Amino acid sequence: MSEQPPPFTESEIVERIRAIDVQAPAELHERVRALVSDGAGVRGRRPAALRWGLVGVPAACALALALVLVLVTSGGTSAPTLEQAVALTLRPATMPAPAESAHDRTQLEASVDGVAFPYWEESFGWRATGARSDRLDGRAVTTVFYAGRGRRWIGYAIVAGTPAPAVSGGAIVRRRGTPYRLLREHGALVVTWLRDGRLCVLAGHGVGTATLLSLASWHGRGTIAS
Amino acid sequence: MRTLDPNSLTRHVDRLYRAAWALSGSREDAEDLVQETFARVLSRPRVLRGDDELYYLMRVLRNTFLTGLRTASRRPATVAMLEDVVAADPRPTNRPEQALEVQEIYATIAQLPDGFRLAIVAVDVLGLSYREAAQALRVREATLTTRLFRARKQVAGRLGAERPAPPRAQEDSRDRREDAHAGGVSVSEGIP
Repeated sequence: MSEQPPPFTESEIVERIRAIDVQAPAELHERVRALVSDGAGVRGRRPAALRWGLVGVPAACALALALVLVLVTSGGTSAPTLEQAVALTLRPATMPAPAESAHDRTQLEASVDGVAFPYWEESFGWRATGARSDRLDGRAVTTVFYAGRGRRWIGYAIVAGTPAPAVSGGAIVRRRGTPYRLLREHGALVVTWLRDGRLCVLAGHGVGTATLLSLASWHGRGTIAS
Repeated sequence: MRTLDPNSLTRHVDRLYRAAWALSGSREDAEDLVQETFARVLSRPRVLRGDDELYYLMRVLRNTFLTGLRTASRRPATVAMLEDVVAADPRPTNRPEQALEVQEIYATIAQLPDGFRLAIVAVDVLGLSYREAAQALRVREATLTTRLFRARKQVAGRLGAERPAPPRAQEDSRDRREDAHAGGVSVSEGIP
């Protein structure tokens, strides 16, 4: 006769569940505190344009482009500090959000060296809210900003030119053979990878690892493949 | 009735995070879920009928969770084609065994049907009373009790199936299981 493991009793299960005292990550505590201190609603909501235009977008802009600046200049002749990079990029989006591509519903009209920005609204609910174009160390950098629910936002930057600036540090996660580098900058999660040899930087605020990696590795119908 | 004090909410982050983890089965999704829950609660002034904010937060967490499920189900199949991303947790822990057990338990709960999952999360993970949990989940207390019993039973069965077999006869375990169900543990009365 084969042996069976004894089942847990309900009391054992309840005891095990209630004994779990895992703490929320410090970043989540910080984000909740930021939400509370923002005081939206309790002290009256600010107009949406003000919230996203002057707070959300510049913050995302700083997150994405500050890293790009540091990465791009790391091997160059100039070497701005991270603080300088943040100060430079604390500016709102300068252009309206690019429209959905008329030819491909997985892409936006905006692209860098033929590498298109993805259209995430239909598949993920992330809506493009604005864009900006910068020139750093001789390279064009285009950033598109996306907004999700719960005041989450993402800055997606593509650095023009090859070879792509070298990136080091962080952890490597592979998806379909493509290495994605996970880093943390300014308390935000950042993913960098190459698309057609161009460096892509995805910086999320209030976005978890799984979400950011899912968005970065999304291939649409094959047209967003890295 | 009183107005919800936003500053008092921060003390519930850990418990709500555990509840969200058990609902979603993923640490990363739990972080998103908790943040969105707080964003919803803080989007406008709230008036509480009772004293306990946790019950109110559970209600909003439930709504946010169910809305997310519905939204995900409406999206195109491309979402389902995405690879499941289980990134290594960058946060160090000095208790890896406990971390594994937490993941195992919460992943098991997350596989339950929605109603069962919400019941066990509200009562056993979040620590609400039966009455509070029933109100937060918008079900009758009797319904909650039944769902909770079945949820615990399913979790016990699934976790037990993964436990190594000790040198004990099958008959013994069957007897023990029957004893437990017959009254060894009264789920609805013995474990409030």
